[in-house]
Amino acid sequence: MRVDLRGVRIGFQGDVNPVADLTIVRMVANGASVMRGGTAAVPDILLCSLPLVPVEGIVVAPLEDVAAAAGDGMVARGSGRIIFLLSAAAAMPMRRHPQYSMQMAVMLTLMRTLAMRLAPRVLVNAVGVGAIGDPLVAGDAAMVGHASVGRPGTIEEVADTVLFLCGPANTYLTGQMLSVDGGWSAGYGRNF
Amino acid sequence: MQVDLGGQVAVVTGGAGAIGRDIVRRLAENGALVVVADINLDGARELATQFAGAMACGIDIADAKSIRVGVAAVLARFGRIDILVNNAGINSFVHRVNIDAYPPEEWNRIIRIDLDGLFLMSGAVLQPMLGQGQGGRIVNIASVVGLAAMRLQSPFVAAKAGVIHLTRSMALELGPQGILTNAIAPGSIMSDGTRALFYASDGTFAARTAEFMRHVPLGRPGTPAEIAEAVLFLASPSASYINGQVIAVDGGWTAGYMI
Repeated sequence: MRVDLRGVRIGFQGDVNPVADLTIVRMVANGASVMRGGTAAVPDILLCSLPLVPVEGIVVAPLEDVAAAAGDGMVARGSGRIIFLLSAAAAMPMRRHPQYSMQMAVMLTLMRTLAMRLAPRVLVNAVGVGAIGDPLVAGDAAMVGHASVGRPGTIEEVADTVLFLCGPANTYLTGQMLSVDGGWSAGYGRNF
Repeated sequence: MQVDLGGQVAVVTGGAGAIGRDIVRRLAENGALVVVADINLDGARELATQFAGAMACGIDIADAKSIRVGVAAVLARFGRIDILVNNAGINSFVHRVNIDAYPPEEWNRIIRIDLDGLFLMSGAVLQPMLGQGQGGRIVNIASVVGLAAMRLQSPFVAAKAGVIHLTRSMALELGPQGILTNAIAPGSIMSDGTRALFYASDGTFAARTAEFMRHVPLGRPGTPAEIAEAVLFLASPSASYINGQVIAVDGGWTAGYMI
């Protein structure tokens, strides 16, 4: 899959993890460049990365502020995109990860409110990441048994979804989370 | 976006229609052998001539026999079906009334095409697709009204909500066989058919449209090409871990409450 990101400058904020790393590699391979930290310039695309392995006690407030500020800068300039890498648990809370699920839901709602506030010049979307990698680099092993595809996903499958959301022809999609979870959040994958 | 659908056979119902034409074009541009399936065979033929290897097929999805004959013709030509885009659908622009006044025959007509037709078409295509043993993709075209109800079009609202949940049901049942099912929920889409509803004679938004667009963050209707882009992604090899999802391509309409 290829999208034309030539001349596009990416900003990155948040959790450094293998999914975010490869996503940036794929974006660069499609022509984008990465803005290094410390610059005051507003990126064309801001990638906001949350911890994708469930962990309690994460604090999302700083990332909320960073995303909102970057969004305001994009509005002032007249264009931009923000993409959040969230857990699919943002829309399907997990019993064993209550605080983590709650914080993901906070970010999901932030994404949706930003999409409304920053429209129409700035598009804001999210990828809901399920169980990824073997061994897992995102999600929880419990997700795999209820994902009807019957396997964990690959990092490439997440990265390509981000590429789709970044695509120059993808211009009417905002305020959405697209989950890459093999069907985990679609319903009950097992027979009862 | 450019993907490699090289040689995959893609059936697009309603393929000669407003959104269907762009779906056909994007799939064909990315290497698919596209079947333009439409009740309007002349329109399907005209479109199919524009793309190498494309085929026109007259199918009325409300008629099981028509589906059977059509799918058999596709298999006779290509021997397989890899991608099904259930795009055909209707709404009533005449009967804009509350449910207590909704004509039952019009209810039946819309449900029979938008929900029953999608079920029948999917079943007919799944038999060969499962037999091929190589998985496949199904993309259902629902509507945002299946996510957020609107007044005065109860059968369309009910049918599209049905399509969305049927999508999830299909995803759970077919995922283990490698067939991935997802849905696109388009918002308000500009086409020749809806242009007259949206615009005043001077080309500006009609007053009612302007009021409605205040609820849509992007403040405009979408285009068929913007829907087709999402269909192309879901049909592509890159979307191989996305199953049972509904993507609202709606300018942010369902992101939240705008006012």
